[in-house]
Amino acid sequence: MGYKCTRCKQKVEIDYEYTGIRCPYCGHRILVKERPTTIKRINAE
Amino acid sequence: MEVDILELSDRSAKFVLSKVSTSFANGIRRAMIADVPTLAIEYVNLYDNTSVLYDEQLALRLSLIPIVTDAETYVPQAECDVCGGEGCPACEVSLTLSAEGPGTVYSRDLISSDPKIQPADPTIPIVELKKGQKLVLEAVAHMGYGRDSVKWQAGVACGYKNVPVINIQNCDACGHCAAECPKGIIRFEESGAKVSEEDILKCSLCRLCEQVCDIHAIKVDFDENAFVFTMESDGSYTARDLAINAANVIKGKAEEILSILDQF
Repeated sequence: MGYKCTRCKQKVEIDYEYTGIRCPYCGHRILVKERPTTIKRINAE
Repeated sequence: MEVDILELSDRSAKFVLSKVSTSFANGIRRAMIADVPTLAIEYVNLYDNTSVLYDEQLALRLSLIPIVTDAETYVPQAECDVCGGEGCPACEVSLTLSAEGPGTVYSRDLISSDPKIQPADPTIPIVELKKGQKLVLEAVAHMGYGRDSVKWQAGVACGYKNVPVINIQNCDACGHCAAECPKGIIRFEESGAKVSEEDILKCSLCRLCEQVCDIHAIKVDFDENAFVFTMESDGSYTARDLAINAANVIKGKAEEILSILDQF
């Protein structure tokens, strides 16, 4: 699952075993999940 | 049955329906609300959405936009003979939307695959986009019935009341009834209180005038078989077409019963 750092805008992978929720490039701890590039179908109800 | 049209515009109508039963008037009202099929967005294919609204909320907002409906071209999907309910040009229409901020996205930004099918109101706000935010989607509209979801409800404010009947006899012109009437329809002449034929339809049957009259000169009643009908369309049909379609629905149901009974 791809995440993005909100400070340095780098794409990061979360390493739950060692670093936890932390950007390996800048150390920032707020990461957001990237929207998938697939088409998302939503029922309008 | 008699119909006397009082007001008629594209979106709303007011008429007096007389010499019919309450059940029939209510049948027309219910048919306008629940049984006239209209187009509404059923699902949305989202390519990109970086707006502040999440996908489901955006889809809900889109589904509630009234769409001008052509009942002769499109049929409800469940009744489509061409595709059997799987979706085809006879039962669904596609609307695409591509917008980038800054700016507000309005219903007029939806581009339809069929030029006849457009949002009924062009200035319904969908979402406000800030700089860099994008919205790219394809919305697919189906025909459906108001009884299944409010998004397919063509008649939005349909109601009726009985035609009021006001009898004034032996009036002493004290003026109490005119002062009490919230609609202000009671006028005074030399012979006493009067209500004109036009104003009588404004009476809400509150009976305050009757209660305040010490000599019981004024009697408020209503005609059981005449109704002041008020209707409003959401824009998918004109008010005239909505009333015609509702009457056709009732006619169709009656014919269906007849055809079933004919088999016995």
